[in-house]
Amino acid sequence: MGHKVRSAVSFLLVALISVALAMLLISLTGSEVGRAFAGFFRGIVGSSYSIAEVFVKATPLTLAGLGVAVAFRSGFINIGTEGQLYMGAIAATAIAMYLPNLPALLMIPACMLGAFLLGGLWALIPGLLKSRFGISDVLNTIMFNYIAIAIVGILVQTALKDPNNYFPQSPPLPAASALAVIIKSTRLHSGIFIALAAAALVYLFIFKTPAGFRMRAVGLNPRACKCVGISALSCVLISSLISGGLAGVAGFCEVMGLHHKLLPGISPSYGYLAIIVTLLGKNNPLGVVLAAIGIAALQVGSLAMQRAASVPSAIAEIIMGVVVILILARQTLFKGLLQPARKEEKA
Amino acid sequence: MPLLEMRNIDKVFFGQYANRDVDLAVESGEIHALLGENGAGKTTLMNILYGIYTRDGGQVLWQGRPVEFASPRDAIACRIGMVHQHFMLVPTLTVSQNITLGLKSPGYPFSKRKALNEGIMDISRRYGLKIDPEAYVSRLSVGEQQRVEIIKLLYRNTELLILDEPTAVLTPQETQNLFAVLRRLKDNGCSVILITHRIPEVMEIADRVTVLRDARKIITAPTGGLTEKQLSEYMIGRELRPVRREGVARTEGSGLTLSDLCLKVNGVEKLDRVSLDIAPGEILGLAGVDGNGQKELAEAAMGIRKPDSGRVLLAGEDLSAWAVDRRIKGGLAYISDDRHHDSLVMPMSLMENLLLKYSAYQRFVKNGFINMKVLRRTTEQAIRDYEIKTLSAESPVSYLSGGNQQKLILARELTEDRRAIVALQPTRGLDIGASEFVQNQLLACKRRNCAILLISADLEEVLSLSDRIAVIHDGAIMGVKDNTPDIDVAELGLMMAGRRLEELKGGEAGHGA
Repeated sequence: MGHKVRSAVSFLLVALISVALAMLLISLTGSEVGRAFAGFFRGIVGSSYSIAEVFVKATPLTLAGLGVAVAFRSGFINIGTEGQLYMGAIAATAIAMYLPNLPALLMIPACMLGAFLLGGLWALIPGLLKSRFGISDVLNTIMFNYIAIAIVGILVQTALKDPNNYFPQSPPLPAASALAVIIKSTRLHSGIFIALAAAALVYLFIFKTPAGFRMRAVGLNPRACKCVGISALSCVLISSLISGGLAGVAGFCEVMGLHHKLLPGISPSYGYLAIIVTLLGKNNPLGVVLAAIGIAALQVGSLAMQRAASVPSAIAEIIMGVVVILILARQTLFKGLLQPARKEEKA
Repeated sequence: MPLLEMRNIDKVFFGQYANRDVDLAVESGEIHALLGENGAGKTTLMNILYGIYTRDGGQVLWQGRPVEFASPRDAIACRIGMVHQHFMLVPTLTVSQNITLGLKSPGYPFSKRKALNEGIMDISRRYGLKIDPEAYVSRLSVGEQQRVEIIKLLYRNTELLILDEPTAVLTPQETQNLFAVLRRLKDNGCSVILITHRIPEVMEIADRVTVLRDARKIITAPTGGLTEKQLSEYMIGRELRPVRREGVARTEGSGLTLSDLCLKVNGVEKLDRVSLDIAPGEILGLAGVDGNGQKELAEAAMGIRKPDSGRVLLAGEDLSAWAVDRRIKGGLAYISDDRHHDSLVMPMSLMENLLLKYSAYQRFVKNGFINMKVLRRTTEQAIRDYEIKTLSAESPVSYLSGGNQQKLILARELTEDRRAIVALQPTRGLDIGASEFVQNQLLACKRRNCAILLISADLEEVLSLSDRIAVIHDGAIMGVKDNTPDIDVAELGLMMAGRRLEELKGGEAGHGA
C-alpha cells in the first residue's frame, strides 16, 4: 500500500467513526436514523436553493479562513477573526450609511476597503503587541473579539441605530451598496466571487512573492530569519493586517450580500469556524476553500436534518468537534497504519 | 565474565545503519573508551544501552544476564548511569535538590535536607568532586554542573558510568581534574565508558578502547599496545591530514574591528569590554571553553543582539547602528554554531533556504514575484560548486546530512563579495571530511582578503587555522598571541581558565627576578 492509499484509508476511518457516532446520537434522541440522514443529504443537494445556501455560508467561512491561514503562516495565532469580521461589518455599514449617495461603482469598493482596513487594524494591534512586546496573540485576539462584539452592540443602539425601528439595528442600507444576487430566488450573492478571488490572491501572495516567502519563513523559524536579517516584526505586521482585513471583508459580504443592514448577531460564529476551516485546509488557500464548503454543507445539512426528523442540530456541532479532533489526531491515532515499516523516529 | 556485554548490535535509521554488528564488552573496574568520529555511532550505541532507542538486532548482557531496557529508568535500576553531552539539570533548583530529584528519601515529601546534604558531601569528599550542595545550578560553571551530574549518578550507587564527550566543555586543567575523579572511581570498583573523539585523551585515561567507524566496530584493544597514529587510522580509516594554513602575511588596512563591546543579559555580564582587530586576509582564532560569551560576541558583531555599549567597524566604517540585513549587504557573513535554529528553515527546500538571504535582492525578483528561474539556477550552481549531496534543489533541507546542510550555508554565506566573516563553531557536529571542507573554504576566503573571526571551542581547530589566537573567558579577552609553531598550549589553557596573559607574563618575569 502506498502512502497516499494509507492516508486515504485513515480519512475513511475518520468518516466512518463520525458517521457511527452520528447514528448513535441520532438514535439516542429517539429519531429515525434513515430519515435523519435522508433529510441531511436532501438539505444539501436537494434543490438549487439548498446548494446555493451551502455557498452562501461558504463565502464568509472562506474569507475568514483565508485570514486565519495568512496569520498562521507567519506564526501569528489569530483566534480573533470573529471580532475582525464584526469590525469589517461596522466599517462597511458606516460608510454606506453616511455616504448614501455614492454610485455602486464607488460605493462597493469603498465599503470593502473600509471593511478591510478596520478589520486589519483589529488584528494589527494584537500583532504589534505580540511581535513588539511579546504579549500572547491568542489571548489578545480573543479579548479583541469581546471588545468588537460589544462595540457592535453599542453602535446599533447609538450612532448606527435605525431611528424608525424599535430593535437595535442599523437602517436598511442604500441599494447601491448591495452585492448582486447571482442565482434568482436564492440568497447566493456575488460575495462568493470575492471569496474565490481572495483565495487566488492569497495563494499568489504567500507562495510567489518575496514578502509572502519571508512571512512563511518567519512562521517556520523566526530565529533563523533574525540571523539572516529578515525582520519578524514587519512580517507579522503585514500578515496580521492582511489576516484581519480578509476577515473584515467577510463581514462586509455578510452585511452587503445578505442582511443589507447591521445586526448584533450577524455572524453565527463564522470567525471561530474559520479556525477549523484553516486547520482542515492545512493553511493552504485551495484547502481552505474546500474545507469551507465542507463545513458549510455540514451546517446546512444539519439544519435540514432538524427540520426533517426533528434531530437537534446541536448533534452536527458535536460531530464537527469530533471530526476536527479525529483529523488533528489522525497521525497519532492511526500511526500503525500510516507508518507501518518504521518502529520509531530518530530523535 | 564482563560486567557489560553488547553483542551484534544493529540499529537502522531511515534505511541507514547507525550501528551494524557492533560488539562491546566492559569489565568491572575499567575505563573503557568508545572512540569514533561524529556520526560513527557511539552515541547511538550508548542510547541503545541506556534504553532510549530500541535496537533492531543483537543482545545486551548485564552481569551475564540478558536485559531489556525500555527506558533509562530500567537502566538506572540496574545501576547504569549516563552523563549526556547536554546536561539534564534543573537550573532553578539547588545542587542537592537536583541530585535527589525523583528519589523518595525518608520523610518524603518533607525530606531531611541536612541529612541528604551529608550524603552528598560524603560522595564529594570520597571522589574529590568539590561542590556546594546548597548552590543553585544556574549559578554553576559548566565544569561544576558536570560534577553535579556525576554525583547524581554516584548517589544512585551507579556501577557503570557512561560519559558522553565529557571534556568538550572543559579547559585542559578541568579535564585533568575530571580524569583524577575517573581514576578514583576505578579504584573504587566502578566502570566507566568514555565516549570521545579525542585520541590523546584515550591514551591518557583509558584501559581499553573500542573504535567505531561508519557504524561498525573496528577494534577493541588495550591502549597500552597502541600508538596515537594507529588509533587515528582506525578511527578515520586513513592518516590524519592536518589542514595547512598558508603563510599569507597580514594585509595592512582595517578589516573587522570590535571595540569595547559590553553586553549584559538579565543582569549577568556576558561581554566585558571586548576589543578585537582583525585585518583583511587574517584569521583570528578565538579560543575558549563553550559558554564564555562566544555566541553573544558573534551575535553582537552581526547585530543580532544589541550590545549595551561598544562599536563594530568594517573597513573603518561604523556599523553599530545598522540592522542585520544592512550589515550582511555591507559584506559581513555569519556562520552560526546552531544550523537548525539559526541558519536554516528545516521544512523549506534548498532553494528557499538560499532565498532567505536574497529575498530583498532585485536580481531575485521579477514583476513583484520571486524569480524562480534565477533562484533555481543559483541553487543548482551552489549544489555543483559545493558538491552538496541532494536529490534536487526542491528537497527540504531536513533531508540533508549535517555536512551537506553546512555546505549549503557556506554556499549562501561565503559569496565572493564578503569582506568579513564571523564563524562560530563552523565545524561543530561535522565529520572529519566535512570539517576539512569547511576549513578549506575559510582559507579560500582568507586568500580573497576576508577578515575572519573564527570562534571555536576546539583548540586543535584554532591552532591549525589561525594567524593569531585570542582567548575569551567569562566574556573578557584574556590576551592575544601570535600563532607561532612553538606556541605554548599550556599557557592558552591557563588563559581559558581565566588567567590574563599579562598576569602569566608577569609571573614569569617575577620568577626570573
